[in-house]
Amino acid sequence: MNYLLSGGAKNGKSMLAQKIVKSMQPDRPIYYLATMIPHDEEDRARIARHLQDRDGWGFTTIECGKNILHALDRADTSGAFLLDSVTALLANEMFLADGRLDRAAPARVADELAEFAARTGYTVFVSDCIYADAGIYDEWTARYRAGLALIDRRLAQVCGSVAELCAGNALWYKGEWRG
Amino acid sequence: MELIIGGAYQGKRAYAKEALGVSDGDFFTCSGTTLDTSRRCIEHLERYTLACVQAGLDSMEVTDLDTLADKIVICDDISCGVVPIDPLERAWREQTGRLLTKLSGRASRVTRIFCGLPLELKG
Repeated sequence: MNYLLSGGAKNGKSMLAQKIVKSMQPDRPIYYLATMIPHDEEDRARIARHLQDRDGWGFTTIECGKNILHALDRADTSGAFLLDSVTALLANEMFLADGRLDRAAPARVADELAEFAARTGYTVFVSDCIYADAGIYDEWTARYRAGLALIDRRLAQVCGSVAELCAGNALWYKGEWRG
Repeated sequence: MELIIGGAYQGKRAYAKEALGVSDGDFFTCSGTTLDTSRRCIEHLERYTLACVQAGLDSMEVTDLDTLADKIVICDDISCGVVPIDPLERAWREQTGRLLTKLSGRASRVTRIFCGLPLELKG
């Protein structure tokens, strides 16, 4: 069973995701797919905080900011995976280092993540709900929002369970998880 | 009235087509300060409220809610960001929220779409 967890920032998505992954395959390895490519001190501090949160959980961290299927070359696919986050992965794939925008990235990443879910069967995907504000955005941001939503909708189709997190509470739109 | 709300790009239109049998020709897509209530489904109501605000109109006053009684109304939820700096955007957000709350009170069913999945809030 694959899971999609989304919602606003700081609502407990990562913590619930860790618990679900830990419970999925008790005797198998668990992997944390680290998608953030740090660019500054703030990013490095965030990563340090996440590392601390995961300390003692038994995760093997795989750094994978792009081409997510390549992470499976470095893992036992019978294990369980935590992909945190789809948001960072799309940003890395879409906003290129040379300043260009890869408009094809959303559809490609959606396909790759659907394949990732199919090949592993035990993955928790964490995304972010960035769709309900009153902003009027520039073209690139609008494309990024639409692109992330495309991926979220695809993952919601292929995952057996889908929840929105709010202040640490999970609202299940599909399936559920009982800890 | 049936109200479908949710964040941008969440699949609200697709839900209306699949779950309620709305066809492409049934949609009126808001762009100005008038609503074509001859169509079965009115979508992007937030564009209507934006046009109202830009024209100096209060959509709560100028919208005849009775004409929407048998309609399917779709609107983006624009309520969750920080308070916009621009006064026009602030008014837009507030009017949209007030109008949606009123429509929600009259609706026989209210559905929220999240990642393409429906959650019935009322009905």
